[in-house]
Amino acid sequence: MDVEVILKIAGIGVLVSVICQILKQSGKEEIATLVSLSGLIVVLAMIVDMISGLFESVGHLFYLF
Amino acid sequence: MEIIFKIIGISLITTISILLIKPTKPDIAMIVGLAGGVFVFFYIIDLIEDVFGLFNYIMEITNLDSKLFTILIKMIGVGYITEFSANLCKDSGNLAMAGKLLLAGKLVIFVMAIPIITSLIELIVSIMP
Repeated sequence: MDVEVILKIAGIGVLVSVICQILKQSGKEEIATLVSLSGLIVVLAMIVDMISGLFESVGHLFYLF
Repeated sequence: MEIIFKIIGISLITTISILLIKPTKPDIAMIVGLAGGVFVFFYIIDLIEDVFGLFNYIMEITNLDSKLFTILIKMIGVGYITEFSANLCKDSGNLAMAGKLLLAGKLVIFVMAIPIITSLIELIVSIMP
């Protein structure tokens, strides 16, 4: 399960960078920035629940709560 | 103990994908590093539980009060999570934030140690003639 998530995020990164390069070449600068922004937001949405799971397990494991 | 091979595999794959993305998209590369760190931690959780089981056993044998032990474990937890995020900030190039995080972690741990220090000093004062 875990390696897939890492490779999925990496794939999104590569895809977004390729799309941005293409858009930049064709002169659509503002759309390129929008695409990179949306790629970042998608990746952040994926990472947010993983981070909450991390803090949850750290808290329970170390009696921090 | 084949879990270490899985952890090595994950960390290598994470490092390679970070290097792949870093030149064009450094922000997503940092998030890949974060994801890799989270997964490595999920693998070492049960190892940490075994270690704490040993601590519990020692505490029961020597019947020290467990308050001391929970404070110790809290310190370890704060230290670990601070180190985790400080190294992540350092990786993405933000050394200033890493330093601030480490300072904050040290302060939090020191504040947690205050009751232990006060009880120690009271003990010493009571011993002294």
